[in-house]
Amino acid sequence: MNEHVFVDRLACILCPVGCELEVRRTERGLDVRGNQCEKGIEFAIEEVLYPKRNLATSVPVRGSVTRLVSVRLSDRVPREMIFPILREIACLRPEAPVRRGQVLVANVLGTGVDVIATRTVE
Amino acid sequence: MDELHDVVVIGGGPAGLAAALGAKRAGAGDVLLIEREKRLGGILNQCIHDGFGLFLYNETITGPEYAERLIEDTVREGIRSETGAMVLDLSADRVLRVNARSGYRLVRAKSVVLAMGCRERTREMIEIPGTRPAGIFTAGAAQALVNLQNIRVGNEAVILGSGDIGLIMARRLTFEGTAVKGVFELMPWTNGLERNVRQCVMDFGIPLELSSTVVEVRGRDRVGSVVVARVDADLKPVAGSEREVRCDTLLLSVGLIPENELSKRAGVELSPLTGGAVVDETFMTSAAGIFSCGNVLQIHDVADFASHEGFAAGACAARFARGEVPAGPRVRLAPGQDIRYVLPQLVRPGTADFDVSFRPVRPLRACRVVVRGRSSGKVYLRKKCARLLPSELQKLRIKPAVEEDLEVACHE
Repeated sequence: MNEHVFVDRLACILCPVGCELEVRRTERGLDVRGNQCEKGIEFAIEEVLYPKRNLATSVPVRGSVTRLVSVRLSDRVPREMIFPILREIACLRPEAPVRRGQVLVANVLGTGVDVIATRTVE
Repeated sequence: MDELHDVVVIGGGPAGLAAALGAKRAGAGDVLLIEREKRLGGILNQCIHDGFGLFLYNETITGPEYAERLIEDTVREGIRSETGAMVLDLSADRVLRVNARSGYRLVRAKSVVLAMGCRERTREMIEIPGTRPAGIFTAGAAQALVNLQNIRVGNEAVILGSGDIGLIMARRLTFEGTAVKGVFELMPWTNGLERNVRQCVMDFGIPLELSSTVVEVRGRDRVGSVVVARVDADLKPVAGSEREVRCDTLLLSVGLIPENELSKRAGVELSPLTGGAVVDETFMTSAAGIFSCGNVLQIHDVADFASHEGFAAGACAARFARGEVPAGPRVRLAPGQDIRYVLPQLVRPGTADFDVSFRPVRPLRACRVVVRGRSSGKVYLRKKCARLLPSELQKLRIKPAVEEDLEVACHE
């Protein structure tokens, strides 16, 4: 009868209220509790089923006294893409000047997301 | 000695940049921002991870982006900034001794904003026994080496302390191919933000052990291992629970201390509870015309809040510089049950609609924060909170005009 299997407990990070959400698997699918608004349900289900992340790292830059330019993704990607994308980024050696927001790799690994510079290097 | 500015801001990080902007926007004609490093931005420059700007820009960006946006604003708004300049001394009458690129000089200011930030606690301050090999870093020092200098700090790391920088570095080292053997936290709760525990540690299967600590460092020239142990309710290591963890690197994320050397020189009264200045609702310290904001005032967990404080302190400094000097006695705000500290500590009678920040002493659930007048017992504010964590700085807005000493308490 009690087929509500505990899946995950997580704090919602969408706003400062920080509801403590609990996700259970029921016969009707995933059930979210503890949310004070609708957004919490969406957040918890995405986090449990297909978590997405941004990533940040830095790469050596050529032709500048500044050694590194920091980079991130233009949007979040499925979590399992983090390490494949990091391997792509590791090959980058951009030439200065680099502008903040400049696309260093477009549509990285077909994710539809770009690798962009997060600082300006003269 | 003729160099006189309306407002001088010491420190060009998230608080100082905002303070300079706040002063300018509040009408200060001449604002000088002094920064010790070659580049403005402070610690933001090495914080290449995202999560900044959620409150200030309503989107999540990285530290360097956040810094550049604020820096561009200062340039656009005609704020003069001087990098590579270190303030060596500050007096109560607002004379600064500055060692700048152009040489040593005296600078006078109608008002000063302190925004020097904080320092990390070190191994010496927490007294970990053992040898003294290479390979022991504060988390922020390791962050600077990895993110700015392209230096790999080690192959196998243990992280002591679950502060945000330690958690962020757990992920950063993982990305750089350094195996993180575990994060050990003395307290029975984590000291970092929830999102960092999840995205920096749990995502990568890094063990996070609460109520545990490093009791010994081993190794001659380089760290060879550390000994970790569980701690009891009094935070003392439990005999027999020791375990050796092989590693060549130990990162410490064990707390931050406001850097108030200059404040002390100026005779500013400091609070033993925050490690920062005692301020009133205008962020003015005990020294007239000297204001304080950001991590030098109280440790923040989010840069946006340090900036928020900076904007406000800068605006107040501009008003002081114009001669709008608020005078008169002040009532006190004090922490009550389960509250570690309250800020501001002083408020001018008659003040209404002002912000108060505080931290609880321990995690609290389903609690009620009550602000009460000490002599009348009048309730100025009552607020229900689902949970309060020591790792999250809390804010309240007190609406009624204050006429007496207040106490902020929390009841579970």
